[in-house]
Amino acid sequence: MSDIQERVVRCFSNVFPDLPADEIPRASTASLPAWDSVAHVTLLSSIAEEFGQPFEIEDYEELVSYPLIVDRIENQTRHA
Amino acid sequence: MTLNEALALIKSSAGRGGEKKPHYLVCGFEPLHLKTFLSAHLLDRLPASGVGILNGVYGDLTGNLSSAAKSSALAAAVVIEWGDIDPRLGLRSSGGWAEEVKPDILASAAVRLSRIEAALAGLAERMPAAVVAPCLPLLPIGNTIRAQSSIAELELDQLVTSFLLRISRLPGVRVVERSRFDGVPRTDRLDAQMELLAGFPYTTSFADTLAGAFTEVLYQSVPKKGLITDLDDTLWSGIVGEVGADKVTWQQESHTQIHGLYQQMLAQLASCGVLLAVCSKNEQTVAESALARQDLFLKSESLFPVCANWEPKSQSVGRILRTWNIAEDSVVFVDDSPMELDEVRRAFPGIVCREFPKKDPAKLWALLCELRDLFGKPVLVAEDRLRQQSIRASAAIQEMGEAAGTDEFLAGLDATVTLDWRFDSSDLRPLELINKTNQFNLNGRRIGEGEWQRYREDSKAVLSVVSYADKFGPLGKVAVVLGTAEPGAKGRGTLKVSHWVMSCRAFSRHLEHHTLDSLFRETGADQIEFDFEATDKNKPLQDFFRAAGIAPDADGAYRLSRSGFSPPSTELPHHVVNLTK
Repeated sequence: MSDIQERVVRCFSNVFPDLPADEIPRASTASLPAWDSVAHVTLLSSIAEEFGQPFEIEDYEELVSYPLIVDRIENQTRHA
Repeated sequence: MTLNEALALIKSSAGRGGEKKPHYLVCGFEPLHLKTFLSAHLLDRLPASGVGILNGVYGDLTGNLSSAAKSSALAAAVVIEWGDIDPRLGLRSSGGWAEEVKPDILASAAVRLSRIEAALAGLAERMPAAVVAPCLPLLPIGNTIRAQSSIAELELDQLVTSFLLRISRLPGVRVVERSRFDGVPRTDRLDAQMELLAGFPYTTSFADTLAGAFTEVLYQSVPKKGLITDLDDTLWSGIVGEVGADKVTWQQESHTQIHGLYQQMLAQLASCGVLLAVCSKNEQTVAESALARQDLFLKSESLFPVCANWEPKSQSVGRILRTWNIAEDSVVFVDDSPMELDEVRRAFPGIVCREFPKKDPAKLWALLCELRDLFGKPVLVAEDRLRQQSIRASAAIQEMGEAAGTDEFLAGLDATVTLDWRFDSSDLRPLELINKTNQFNLNGRRIGEGEWQRYREDSKAVLSVVSYADKFGPLGKVAVVLGTAEPGAKGRGTLKVSHWVMSCRAFSRHLEHHTLDSLFRETGADQIEFDFEATDKNKPLQDFFRAAGIAPDADGAYRLSRSGFSPPSTELPHHVVNLTK
């Protein structure tokens, strides 16, 4: 697991404490009932703080799963 | 605290045992990160408890205040923002703020603030409520440039200030001081993107600041009780033993106002019931001659006792603590000498020792602010004004030695003991006694204002607040018993006492015997069961239990039966008054 993935997993784990660690890589708004609108904003704020990179308003609509979030962070990091 | 630190703290606290202490976050916006930070700060402040945060619905602050008032919460954090005062002042509104609309905004703001005030009054009857007034920047409603105040902004400010003054007088309401947030520019408080996206208006860093302020105001540290001050180069400038009483100074004209400011701070503390004493390396007569000067900025009689001698200061401090009969961790010691401070600190590690910064006005300012925080309390009670007088009376009695324990002496006190069995929710003195008293304390357990209010609502609760007065003057309310009587206890039942405290100022008056006697008489209980727990500090209560024969029975419970209770060998000569509903 890369450093980025580990840090994203940690954010997921703090926001969804009942979610087993091995299920985090498959987590999405569709698969995880606890991932409601409040949890979504909390999660993305947590990740933005972790990486020091704020998200745009449209990101909140697009980043609806763990893989999408990790991809976005990896892309941002590559182009930073 | 960062958002991730707050989330991690909440996660790690999930396994805390016991019931979660419910709190209500009352706001008109989406509580989002503020809820997270409030939970984390409360968990940090209440390390032995779990914490739950309740909240209402979006856009209805007044309705949420009413919901909170009906909830099981123990305390409430209330945030009022501009959009709650008038929706047109919020970022998500489309009502506009053109010149022709402003009179209507101002009129509606006044009405809404009155409604909020009424709802807050209802809430504060059931739990303490910390209130934050709008702290976000206003929309650019002014017709002026930003450097110039506009009339509309000033009128809004006036409405809010007037509202805060009114609600600060409501028992239970604690207004969070707005200057507490001065370190954060208003523009750094607003997260416009999050407000438009999710209805949450604050940056995470400001949400953290807000939550910290709420926690600080709702769960204040127990205030210190006494301050011991040095004289030379502390209370005044100069060495009185060298220059003489008329040459020490503390005034602006002699450029020693730094000492004058300190004197005025002590005068303020004394007026709030803080005990003041002097510990100085001096001749007693020399110190007293300077303290007798009429131009002192505090009344010299506020200083008691005055210990001026050549002993190590720790010995004088020990004597003062015995005279006051309070624990070292309730006391602050101020001296200009780091060496003296160190000597006292080594002897009394619990005392807060502070150096008087005789050459540094900026540090003095910081010291005065710290003293305010160390001694500050939410409300002053009548007993605060009696404390100094009663300490002097107690000292006079102590000086009588064994003669003070005789039947003749007690009879000559012409004392009245008043037991008030009514539950007055606006009177916080009983709660203060429970939360400040260490020595005569059944178990050392503290309770919050919200839990106190729940007792009031419990039909089984029994409360007795004991006041005392004798020929030396009134001591005020000095003891509290709190417990529950099971249904049917009238006549034959058990009174379970969860809290029993008595101020150290009231020791040796046999109030504890009167209290037990009245508990049996007024409740009709056949036995009293005490929720006793030994602490490091409650030896006086343990001594009383031993003397009264209250010991653990076969079940390990501390019970006293009516038949097993006997008054002390001496008569109880006091006049007893019971105040009931």
